[in-house]
Amino acid sequence: MASYDYIEKTVKVSRREFLGVLGVGAAVLWTGAYVATDLIQDRTKYIKMRTASLYRDDFKATVRQSHNNSSLNKMYKSFAGEPLSPLSEELFHTKYIDRTKLGGMS
Amino acid sequence: MAHNEIETRVLKHSLPSRLFHWCLILGFLPAAITGFILWLKLGNETFINLAMRIHIVGAIIFTSAVIIYTVCCLNLVIAFMRRIFSWDSRDLGWILIGGGYPQKMFLGKKITVPPMGKINSGQKIFGICLLFSGLILMASGWILYAFIPVSPKLFIYWSNRIHLVFGIFMGLFVFVHIFLGIYNWGEFKTMFGNGTQPLDEAKDHNPVWVEHEIEPVQNTKSNTKVLVQ
Repeated sequence: MASYDYIEKTVKVSRREFLGVLGVGAAVLWTGAYVATDLIQDRTKYIKMRTASLYRDDFKATVRQSHNNSSLNKMYKSFAGEPLSPLSEELFHTKYIDRTKLGGMS
Repeated sequence: MAHNEIETRVLKHSLPSRLFHWCLILGFLPAAITGFILWLKLGNETFINLAMRIHIVGAIIFTSAVIIYTVCCLNLVIAFMRRIFSWDSRDLGWILIGGGYPQKMFLGKKITVPPMGKINSGQKIFGICLLFSGLILMASGWILYAFIPVSPKLFIYWSNRIHLVFGIFMGLFVFVHIFLGIYNWGEFKTMFGNGTQPLDEAKDHNPVWVEHEIEPVQNTKSNTKVLVQ
């Protein structure tokens, strides 16, 4: 409970001000939503184009399986022995890092 | 204006404004502190994880308070915007002498400053920064919270940069605000108390506001004080 003798005069909002605030708010939201959807649509389009190009390359390729890749087979034969050999494990296998905790938050 | 034998008081900050200020304290302050912790990676993984949770809860309080206050107290928001965007020669004079604060703090001298309305020129600058930076921080923060999986990397990269830069700016700015708020003890008591201030003190700090923007409480006899919630 507070006791006081003077109070601020009531703030009168004119129609022009009300419409101005409403308009600016709507314009900001609309622009934001437009930019966001535009970015997402572009991203989806690029992913689809990239996928299509990969399928096209795959379709054109003579050898389509990695275990039949002649360069890889040559590498194993002359250098790393065989897939999952100790040297292959050491050179080609990556380490696992658990990022689920912070990743789950974002 | 009427003069009373008892201390005459004016309601400077209404209940919705004080509640909104409390929400900013409970929302923005934890978010700012944990923001610095997340940026500088202070502590181990568990602590950083906790800081991130507090940061998000703070952001929810901050954003909700802004939306609710804007919708329910649009007139107060508009009054605030009118004040922060109203500039004249007095503001220039006020800024040139730093509102008299350096002289008061470092030389112990009280000099005459141009008369101010409800908020002074420094508070106007703070208000403008708060308005724009707050909105940018909220928008970029929620983009980082919700749109990482569906947004392009470059967009997220810049959202993160903007959030960081404005976060540091606002984080440092708010500590200046806290310092000056405590330095002006009367103002501090008004905001954290019942919202009222002695009229003489208001006349000293905000003469233009007292002159033009306040009125006696209705149905009040000269020597009777009203009790209002």
